[in-house]
Amino acid sequence: MKLKYKAVVIGGSAGSFSVVSKILSKIDPKFPLPIILCLHRLKHVRSGLVEGINLKSNLSVVEPNDKEKIVAGKVYLAPSNYHLFIEFDGSFSLSTEEPLNHSRPSIDHTLSSSSYFFREKMIGVLLTGANKDGAKGMKDIADKKGITLVQDPDTCDVDTMPKMALRMMTPTKVLSPDGIIDYLNQLA
Amino acid sequence: MDEGKAFREYLNELKKHTPYDFSEYSDSSINRRLQKILKDYDISMDQLHERTKSDQEFVEKVVEEITVNTTELFRDPDIWTSLYDNIYSSLKNKKTINIWHAGCSSGMEVYSNLIILNELGLLERTKVFGTDINARMIKQAKSGKFALQFNKIQLDAFKASLKKRPIQGISSIDFDKYFIFNKSEDTLEAKDIIRKVPWFVKHDLVNEEIPFYNRFDLIFCRNVLIYFNSSLQSKIFKLFHDQMFAGGCLLLGNHEGMSGFYKTKFSKSGPVFLKNNSFHFKY
Repeated sequence: MKLKYKAVVIGGSAGSFSVVSKILSKIDPKFPLPIILCLHRLKHVRSGLVEGINLKSNLSVVEPNDKEKIVAGKVYLAPSNYHLFIEFDGSFSLSTEEPLNHSRPSIDHTLSSSSYFFREKMIGVLLTGANKDGAKGMKDIADKKGITLVQDPDTCDVDTMPKMALRMMTPTKVLSPDGIIDYLNQLA
Repeated sequence: MDEGKAFREYLNELKKHTPYDFSEYSDSSINRRLQKILKDYDISMDQLHERTKSDQEFVEKVVEEITVNTTELFRDPDIWTSLYDNIYSSLKNKKTINIWHAGCSSGMEVYSNLIILNELGLLERTKVFGTDINARMIKQAKSGKFALQFNKIQLDAFKASLKKRPIQGISSIDFDKYFIFNKSEDTLEAKDIIRKVPWFVKHDLVNEEIPFYNRFDLIFCRNVLIYFNSSLQSKIFKLFHDQMFAGGCLLLGNHEGMSGFYKTKFSKSGPVFLKNNSFHFKY
């Protein structure tokens, strides 16, 4: 079977840890696509996130190395204090260049670079958060005709991030965390 | 013409007028840097070409903008404990220790390392070199002067980490010994005990010959090679390999790996890559 999509890329900030944990605990263990996570972290808490997310996840979660190839069925988390990009050849690349939207990793960087590589063959997801990071990236995915899912602001701990995105673009769907899980699982 | 191609052409132009060659930097990263330059200077691609041909000072600025200058005091606090466990413990009995920080930016990691070496009683036996392509960064590294507020966070993070994971019994460091904390000017100034030790030299890892004859026990090259493509990375791994003693150690960034032929010439030990002492024909 040829899959219609090649990757799911999820951005989240304040409040997103529990949403991501929930998604990964309910995701089909045979989910066929790579899932790429770009989550903001508190400056002083740089380690432990990958362990925390792994606890309940049905899929194994790793922090990728620079130039690592993307493998289906794995979950990748942007490492602390690096930007995570998809290179033109479809591998990961990392960078320590200046923060974007006060963030490193920046969700915009990960989403935008994904949209250049995967074009219409990706699903971008933006979750709860407290700044405007991710809005531009979601717009880039929508412009390239990819699928865009924004967490319903009414279900967010902090709704600034989804609201900023909704101001810039019209997503394919606005969904609750359960809605996002159902949407992803029907792809499996 | 698509953007990527325009940037490639610009790099070829830059190569003609300067000693710098960025053609083997990774595509997406160089595109982002050049996009940023066009935006920051508010100029077109044509204007960038013109100024590059005629204005040497501008070219230096472009080079400074292309290269990324992120560094921190004690970046990745745990690294320093691992470095002791895997390296410094075995260097304790050596008469001299040579260390090269390749791509050292403003030198904060160099100073971090000097502090650790001093705490371990190894500083007097150590020669430390720091090199970077960016003249402005080398100048700052020599001055040993940094922004206080930003760096205070890193020092506190390192203190906390040291308490949890002491380095050979050292569970706290008195930073007043090493820095002047100037709150009114928001500066952190390295004191002579560390500032006078290292040699900082402007050097382009990619195109220039290595500026010293010394071989090294330890090479730091953290988060530099991530900006290079794989073939350029391999060249740099060869250069490091040839410049190291057998058993010498290469420390890369936390999320960098080795690939290609030279991967077989090193063994991973904790976070570091140790040069194998294997017999190795040249042909």
